[in-house]
Amino acid sequence: MDRRDFIRTGGILLVGASSAYGLRMLAVSSSRAPSPGSLPTTRKWGMVIDLNKCSSDCNVCMDACRKENNVAIHGDERWDIHWIRKVKIKSKNLNNSGEKSVPLLCNHCEHPPCAQVCPVQATYKRHDGIVIVDHHRCIGCRYCIIACPYNARYFNYKENDDWPNKDFPKRSHGVAEACTFCAHLLDEGKQPACVEACQRINAGAIMVGDLNDPESDVSQIIANNPIKRIREDLGTEPKVYYVGL
Amino acid sequence: MEVDFKSIEGKSLQYYLLLFVLVVLVCAGAFSTYLMITQGIYLSGMTNRVPWGLQIVMAVFYIGLSAGSLVVSGLYGIFGKMEYKPFARMAAFMAMLFLIAGLLSIVTDQGRIDRVFVEPFSHFNVISMFSINPALYMGHVMICIIYLWALFKEKGLLTKVASVTVVLWALCVHTGTGAIFAFVPRELYNTALLPPSFVAAALSSGAALMIIVIVSLFKITKRHLDIGLVIWLGRLLAVFIVVAMYVILIENAHRYYQIESREATFYYLFGSYHGLLFWGGLIIVGSIIPASLLFKRKTGTSVPWIVFSSVLVVIGVMCERYLIVIPGQEHPPDLFPGMEVTSTVLAEGIVTYSMSFLELLQALSVFSLIGIMFILGLKYLPLLPTEARIYERSQMLKDLVPVSEKP
Repeated sequence: MDRRDFIRTGGILLVGASSAYGLRMLAVSSSRAPSPGSLPTTRKWGMVIDLNKCSSDCNVCMDACRKENNVAIHGDERWDIHWIRKVKIKSKNLNNSGEKSVPLLCNHCEHPPCAQVCPVQATYKRHDGIVIVDHHRCIGCRYCIIACPYNARYFNYKENDDWPNKDFPKRSHGVAEACTFCAHLLDEGKQPACVEACQRINAGAIMVGDLNDPESDVSQIIANNPIKRIREDLGTEPKVYYVGL
Repeated sequence: MEVDFKSIEGKSLQYYLLLFVLVVLVCAGAFSTYLMITQGIYLSGMTNRVPWGLQIVMAVFYIGLSAGSLVVSGLYGIFGKMEYKPFARMAAFMAMLFLIAGLLSIVTDQGRIDRVFVEPFSHFNVISMFSINPALYMGHVMICIIYLWALFKEKGLLTKVASVTVVLWALCVHTGTGAIFAFVPRELYNTALLPPSFVAAALSSGAALMIIVIVSLFKITKRHLDIGLVIWLGRLLAVFIVVAMYVILIENAHRYYQIESREATFYYLFGSYHGLLFWGGLIIVGSIIPASLLFKRKTGTSVPWIVFSSVLVVIGVMCERYLIVIPGQEHPPDLFPGMEVTSTVLAEGIVTYSMSFLELLQALSVFSLIGIMFILGLKYLPLLPTEARIYERSQMLKDLVPVSEKP
């Protein structure tokens, strides 16, 4: 085989291989059924957390979330991931004010700074308002973690060896993640794991519902109670509302 | 004005020894990067609270250093100072290398390096500073190559156009790099003065590095360098230092005055080791001492003192780059203004970042890689002029150096 033949054969092989790959990619993308949340919808998911009903020594929401979503815990504070975490806060100035226990999670902001800064559009807001990460696209730059003003996003620094829920994927090391409002469950008409767990122990402190439906439970609570959202001054329009904060 | 360029021989023992050391360092860094790709970047000192570490500090530092080309091509292309033409090739070459170093630092810092060469192109996000900046950096590398080519081929018009383009583009590059931090809602990042202060510090560190490289290369290769050129660059550097210091002080005064960022700024300026880096490293060592030395007639006209001041400036700006990136993460975002967090599962309060050895190796290897490219460039490309001198001395120079040196 002389040089010309070599180049010609090589060229044909290269073009063939790349077009086969391209066709395969097309097939994959067209066969993937879109999830309900990615379709145009009038629904907008929001969450209400009633701190008066949330007991400070209860962690069922955290445990349920970890189990449902395979959230990694490595036993080291630096790399542990918490899609939902609980903190206790008290006033700096008023001595007699009591301590409050506050569950914190991704606020699924209407104007999410994390999605704004993502260089590959791996973090995006679905039509139903849920902010989600495409773990197959994330390059692991961690700019979203920097941009999130709520410390609600985490990075997979290590491989997660624990995989309790085989129906839900775990993430490889090198990508960012955060609470999804259990979008996979909401899409099936079920409740998020934390909400379900909280209802199971009859606390009912966490609720998820459609903010666009004025008759929904969450809309009713928001309309009839003094509510607060975390750092509203930032203009991110969080969709997690707190009663009693 | 004719300038002759001649590459170095590069056959001495020292040359090969340096090359060997640099290659070893590159291999060590490549190995540590391999470990992080396979096992995860927990091997660096980064955590969920400090997700950007040494590599990002070095990336912004390198990108700032590339401003040296901006200074030289600005002097030559915009202000028509022909006597700086001999340094234009060197400046464009170094700018290209520093941008490559910046890009490499960013690439090796990613969690999924395998996707870095695909996703940013297929899903470009026009409103992300992290999309815009790499595009600007790559554009700058291209422009530097064109500029360099025009200089090598002595294309008059193209050189002129390219030198002006380099200046304008570099301004975007440095502003954009500052904006990576400035456009993010964090107490210590979110300030519109960050991009200008980044540009100012880039100019001073870039000019300082130009001085160090030019003087040492001319000395090592025993070529004639007109002292007036160094004095002039030193004067320029002094002005850049003052401007940078001014913007940085205003930036911090403003942050401190705002009630919501007062506590964070106090921590930044006086807390932990940052206070030492800011006042000791950036303000005293990196700004006041070099500016005084450069403005003083006796030291400002002596080449060793000018080089010494330049070294101080580079150290000061390195502190400044660290201060841009790290304290803003170590200080927690204030989730509950007026409240304190008493118990938590995540480190909610102030945390400290400490780099790991593997991370340090990674950073060293990027530096070594451009070091290799630099010394190979000196050997195989006509970058260094045979001499650099001033043909018409301005009154200012005549006043400063009464006896003009003859080559």
